[in-house]
Amino acid sequence: MPELGRAALIVCLGLAVYAVGAGSYAAWRRRGRLAESAENAILASFAAALVASVVLLSALLQHDFGFVYVYEHSSLELPQAYTISAFWGGQEGSLLLWLLILTGFSTAAVLLARRSSRSLLAWTVPVLGAVIVFFSLLLVAVSSPFATQPAPADGLGLNPSLQNPYMLAHPPMLYLGFVGLTIPFAFAMGALIARRTDELWIVVTRRWTLIAWTFLGFGQLLGAHWAYVEVGWGGYFAWDPVENAALMPWLAATAFLHSVMIQEKRGMLKIWNVLLVVGAFALALFGTFLTRSGILSSIHSFTEGSIGPWFLGFIGVVVAGSAALIVSRLPLLRAKTKLESPVSREATFLYNNLLLVAFCLTILWGVVYPILTEALRGEPVTVGPPYYNFFLKAFGLPLLLLMGIGPLIAWRRASLRGLGRTFLWPLGIAVAAGLVLLALGAGSSIPGLVGYTFCAFVLASIALEFARGTRARRALSGGSWFGGLAELVSRNRRRYGGYVVHASIVLLAVGVIGSSAYDTTREQRLGPGQSMAVGDYTLTYRGATRERGVNAMETRALVDVERGGERLGTMRPGKNNYFAEQQVSNEAAIRSDRLNGEDLFLIAEQIERDGVFLKVLVKPLVNLIWIAGFVFLGGALIALWPDAREQRRLALRYGGREALSRA
Amino acid sequence: MLAVFLVYTSIAGGTPQLRPSELKGRTGEVALVGKVVGQVSGDARRDGMRFRLRDVKGTAAVPVVYRGSVPDLFRSGRDISLRGELKNGTFVGEPGTLVTKCPSKYTDKKQT
Repeated sequence: MPELGRAALIVCLGLAVYAVGAGSYAAWRRRGRLAESAENAILASFAAALVASVVLLSALLQHDFGFVYVYEHSSLELPQAYTISAFWGGQEGSLLLWLLILTGFSTAAVLLARRSSRSLLAWTVPVLGAVIVFFSLLLVAVSSPFATQPAPADGLGLNPSLQNPYMLAHPPMLYLGFVGLTIPFAFAMGALIARRTDELWIVVTRRWTLIAWTFLGFGQLLGAHWAYVEVGWGGYFAWDPVENAALMPWLAATAFLHSVMIQEKRGMLKIWNVLLVVGAFALALFGTFLTRSGILSSIHSFTEGSIGPWFLGFIGVVVAGSAALIVSRLPLLRAKTKLESPVSREATFLYNNLLLVAFCLTILWGVVYPILTEALRGEPVTVGPPYYNFFLKAFGLPLLLLMGIGPLIAWRRASLRGLGRTFLWPLGIAVAAGLVLLALGAGSSIPGLVGYTFCAFVLASIALEFARGTRARRALSGGSWFGGLAELVSRNRRRYGGYVVHASIVLLAVGVIGSSAYDTTREQRLGPGQSMAVGDYTLTYRGATRERGVNAMETRALVDVERGGERLGTMRPGKNNYFAEQQVSNEAAIRSDRLNGEDLFLIAEQIERDGVFLKVLVKPLVNLIWIAGFVFLGGALIALWPDAREQRRLALRYGGREALSRA
Repeated sequence: MLAVFLVYTSIAGGTPQLRPSELKGRTGEVALVGKVVGQVSGDARRDGMRFRLRDVKGTAAVPVVYRGSVPDLFRSGRDISLRGELKNGTFVGEPGTLVTKCPSKYTDKKQT
């Protein structure tokens, strides 16, 4: 069986090389048949990657420890679901998953574009092929998941911290996001090589970007929730290099999703858009490189593997190649129109882009700072959370404000009088909300207060947009409010889906601000019967229990919780001692309040015979972060849903069948 | 935006990251990275946990005393980092800064 896996990967590599060679020649000489054959090579590479993946998966499920990979990442007693997740639990397997998704996405992109925008496909196929070549080459020559050995009796097992339901969803989602960014990149490069610098490539790939961006965003929130409930330090994001690695491409893709609208509507920002697409893809590769190279110390630090230099080389090729291509096509990328006024819809989009990219670059700077300082001064200097939190406030708060301004402001040029009328209500509501919050004591954190006022402003302006649109719909066609709203959304899914996403970002901001600017932390040692007060909670330690679980010794501290004289129940923070892996894991206890979204978070730092060191965190509104994830997904789905009307509009604009694109 | 960035970075700076062998004579707060060697004694909740930290690749080592939260994965043989300051030949850690580099996802147990 390992031979079959290895052979499938070699076939995949061969097909991708063929797609590059034949595809380029066909595009250059305009050979239709040959171009089709290159496209088919991409489809076949997916089949090959699929075969290799099935081989690895079945080896895992059959506990074939003759596979070094299976031996190192699973064991006989590992539950079946985690045996499957061991597929991406190690470097080789995760690269194979990457290849599988890459060829799968490429296949879908080729099939969809074949029907609609064939002319774009000519040079896109070789670019896709080249990326596939890189990954299959890595798997064939450097980091094979099909290395064999004389089979030992049992495997080494999976790291206990990875034996978690989130392990089934979080990594694959991030991969779907990372890899998805390849498709817009390939189409952008394909369009540039073919000197097609109209908006078609953007129209064809906008949905792909949206899909990748949705996976990346939701995947990150899943990861944050995983960290919050399982790792048990009371936080959900720590500005760790690996977390930043996923955030950066998401920010770049967010900027791109906004700036494409300017190019579509006004023919501006063409160079910028290409740069963003290249940037997002390069950052996705860079993120993978960071996690595998061992160049940075991170709590996620993965092995100091042999693939780091390969990734660095590939990123270099991607960046240098794209840069050369963009420079050579500069004359074609001149904007058709200019910015007419600094107070207009397109100007707010521009500010939004500048802020997003600035934030992305400051994160990048923070991530590479230790590398730079080591190279320049001989010793690495790290920047910590204060650095990132400062810029989150410096750039995040204006971004939040823009989210309220942008949707309401007119295209091209907004008059001051019009502005006053438009913003009367949202401004009034924001000021009122700010004053109420101040009266409630939110003034203890000025950034928090400013943030909440902005949140109120954005929500009010979104609500206003929905209300106005619905009223206009009803005036046209009558019907109920709800019917008008539904029709409004379905007639312009991108726009209103976007607003729903904006609302989810506001929820996220409310949760993040609440749990970071207004949280309470207290540590204390409690003997049996002793109490402590945190916020309006009173906690009483009752004693400890020790039970033998399936694979761990479970120690728990029993803590009674009261609020305002009302008993809320017993919480059980503790620790698990895993037998097989000989590791301790912290099991925090969390009590979520459904009414106000607040969490009481207990960590038993140390349980002794006659007491417990208890760390208590009260995190107001933190649950809105998780709700935001679902709202985000809902909004993204609304925006993603195929829209027949829009297809017709596009067809009119780009002419004939060419643009009847469903991609 | 660039101005904001430059002003902030010039004022705040970062924390130098050192190995035990580079620690000699240093004052001020640094982040120390190394491997825990030998016995771990004392109590991090009371008078402090004591252990020796060695260069990950090397032999120089320094005694460390630390109070505060200890990560689950902390034990002798692990690579860790913590912030703190050298005082009278002992590196005094700052509470809550001890971080283990976990053997994690992409490492097999042979190395730990």
